[in-house]
Amino acid sequence: MSLRYKLLLIALSTLALPLAGWLFVRQMEELLRHGQEQALTASAQALARSLVASKIALPQGQGLYVHPLTTRITLDGYADDWKLLLPYAQNLGPIDDAQKLRVVFASDRDWLYLLAEVHDATRIRVDSHDTSAASSDHLNLSMARGESTRSYLLASAAPGSFEAAVTDGVEGSVLPKVLSGEWQEDGAGYRIEMRMPLSQAPDRIALSVFDAAGRGDVAVASADPQDAELHPLLRYSRARADDLALYAPQDVRVRLLSNDGWVLAKSGELAPANTESSRRRWFESLIYRGLLAPGLTAAQDFAFGLPRLNATEVWQALSGVAATAWHPSEREGSVVLAAAVPLRVQGEIRGALLLEQSGDALPILTNRALLGLMGASLLALLVAGGVLFLFASVLSLRIRRLRDAAERAVRTSGRLDGRLPLSDARDELGDLSRSFGKLLDEVAAYTDYLRTLASKLSHELNTPLAIVKSSLDNLDHQSLTPAARTYIGRARDGAERLGAIVRAMREASRLERAIAMSDGEDFDLAAVLRGCVEAYRPLAGTREFSCDLPDAPLTLHGAPEMIAQALDKLFDNALSFTPENGWIRVTLCALDDGAVITMANQGPLLPPAMQEHLFESLVSVREQGSARGSGNAPHLGLGLSVVRLVAELHRGTASASNLTDGSGVEFRITLHSLARRRLSDPS
Amino acid sequence: MARSIAIVEDEPSIRANYVEALTRFGYQVQGYATRSEASRAFNLRLPELVIIDIGLGDEPEGGFELCRELRAKAALLPIIFLTARDSDLDIISGLRLGADDYLTKDISLHHLSARISALFRRLDALSKPMNKETVVEQGPLRLEAERMRVSWNGQEIPLTVTEFWMVHILVRFPGHVKNRDQLMREAQVVVDDATITSHIKRIRKKFIALAPEFDAIETVHGVGYRWRV
Repeated sequence: MSLRYKLLLIALSTLALPLAGWLFVRQMEELLRHGQEQALTASAQALARSLVASKIALPQGQGLYVHPLTTRITLDGYADDWKLLLPYAQNLGPIDDAQKLRVVFASDRDWLYLLAEVHDATRIRVDSHDTSAASSDHLNLSMARGESTRSYLLASAAPGSFEAAVTDGVEGSVLPKVLSGEWQEDGAGYRIEMRMPLSQAPDRIALSVFDAAGRGDVAVASADPQDAELHPLLRYSRARADDLALYAPQDVRVRLLSNDGWVLAKSGELAPANTESSRRRWFESLIYRGLLAPGLTAAQDFAFGLPRLNATEVWQALSGVAATAWHPSEREGSVVLAAAVPLRVQGEIRGALLLEQSGDALPILTNRALLGLMGASLLALLVAGGVLFLFASVLSLRIRRLRDAAERAVRTSGRLDGRLPLSDARDELGDLSRSFGKLLDEVAAYTDYLRTLASKLSHELNTPLAIVKSSLDNLDHQSLTPAARTYIGRARDGAERLGAIVRAMREASRLERAIAMSDGEDFDLAAVLRGCVEAYRPLAGTREFSCDLPDAPLTLHGAPEMIAQALDKLFDNALSFTPENGWIRVTLCALDDGAVITMANQGPLLPPAMQEHLFESLVSVREQGSARGSGNAPHLGLGLSVVRLVAELHRGTASASNLTDGSGVEFRITLHSLARRRLSDPS
Repeated sequence: MARSIAIVEDEPSIRANYVEALTRFGYQVQGYATRSEASRAFNLRLPELVIIDIGLGDEPEGGFELCRELRAKAALLPIIFLTARDSDLDIISGLRLGADDYLTKDISLHHLSARISALFRRLDALSKPMNKETVVEQGPLRLEAERMRVSWNGQEIPLTVTEFWMVHILVRFPGHVKNRDQLMREAQVVVDDATITSHIKRIRKKFIALAPEFDAIETVHGVGYRWRV
């Protein structure tokens, strides 16, 4: 992973900023919410107190809720026209099986309707006027209106219409003397549907089921009509709603609940939505919901149309503890705070008051803060990331430059073309560069020392050699014995060979100087090679000497003399390694911007370790007593360094490798045109 | 009357050897170890030929200084640099100061005496009427072997002895390729190929300085040089 991306990753640490901000905003929002909760609870409690003080009528005990009807009810004993109300059916069964009897009351403008469903799989059917009716399956219904009560026995021997017998409280009362209804059965039990005019309707009702177990069993539940509890009928009341409206604060929705959670009255409106574009609201609500909002309860628990509220908070209030809840409003992007408080009349909980207030201000406020924060931190992230990326790019660029320079220096064994980059930077990289520079200087100095060692040595050797030679020349003119002459001859031979060695040592350094002063010229490389090859042919002797040169002229700008010299060295080298009956092959290929010359010869392979160093001066792979016998020109490995110098002069390279088939060795030099400039010429 | 030669050389063994050898060849030889010593002697009396080493004692360029002094005193005095330093730069500096030849110390005494006698011959030839047989004419080139003078279109080309002999062998066999060994033998020097190449380069430059169209010396790559006819 490059430095750049590492730093970019580090830039991600600026993300801690929005995180912290988000936490802060959330905390702030929580505080605000808490404040609002308290305020709403307080006003709810105040409202509750004033309602109690105003002696608002509140039912006691478990009430039976009479649903206002929106559809027509057909009396047929079937429950399908009750479908909407069935979920609100109230259980009036015996304690151990409350679901045995489920009832729903409803009313329109004139009638009070009742649907009762009884679970009873074992049936003993009899009509209500039958004498055994009391011991068969039946329902006891008691109704009270004011002071008078009346009880009925509901039973039917068959599905269809039935009439209920009055069992108690026959005397004068508004309550209906006759109750008729529809009876239907299925495998699980029976259903009763009946109605009475509102003018005769009771205000309290008790219902109990008598299940005469079949096959002579004891009754599962007996319902004595006397001790069945009378439940008040609860209705939504406009009068109470008006009372509520009197006391309710503005922009707050108020609902008065019975102690079962039935809505007895409601009033008020939530604050109107502010007119912002819905898309923006949607986006804000998304942010708010996703990042800030508390756990919201489901909105449908608090829908304004519900006849009964079943939310946890309501039950909590009904048990005597004020509670608050947040839920999303029907409008996008806002929340509603609901506060429920118990209504106590003389210490007894008679119901609850539910206040709802739109918490629009909060999301807007916090969203704004959060959005601002997000924007700011995104900007900060971008800026920090950008700056770091830029910085990293610059840094890695600098490091790359340093590395490239170092690698160039390695290639040229410590010689630098100019100064190291960054060497005057005042940071650690500058330090590194300077250290590199020192190191390279050392290396270069040492390399130069090695390079010039040969020429220095040859210089130093020249003078003593001259002394020896001139002394021998002078000796020649003395009168000497023949034996002494022999010795002189040998000494002269030795001196000659020393001289040859010294000359060879000087050649490389002379060549370097010559190269520094050589001017380029345009010449045909193919022609140069052709001339050289013709000159080598007689030297090859018994060896097979072949060449492959292009016919077309290959024009290059460079120093043909030098190239010819390099070829001489290569040929010399090849000649000395090739066996008498071996082969030598010279080829020339044109490149896009130069040429490649290869000189391959049959003979011993190169040791792999030597291939790199072959072209350094004073390196030789010849073994003692190689193809050239003693007495030949000495071999110091200077020849190939000349080849390298010539190749480098022409911006090329010299390399050696073994042939793939292992039959011999191939030397290869690539040459390019020299830059067309006149080099400084001291002559 | 033996000709007088001065050798300025800081290495006593070499100096002594050369003095002895040249004395044996019949010259009257005087050796000097330092520049100041030599200068003092030359102020009294100039020798007829001077052999100078470049590095003299603690003066690495002492020989050049001495050469300059001598040229100022005598324009025709033959001066030979005999030195261990053989870089092109040194050779060029030496020849620019007007030395007649520049030899490295590995030259044999025999070769050295050949140079000396050639220079003396040239001196003599300058004061004698021209000897017709020894003049070679090749196009615009005129080469007087006796006086070791070469001129191109009548303009004299200032060549050193070594250079003159190289031109000489090329001109004597125009159109023939002479390889480096032959040039070396003719010029009586033992040097490496690079040195021969730089000699030829210098010769060309000297011609071109006076005749920009000069291209008579042709390189035959890998073989040698020839005089273009």
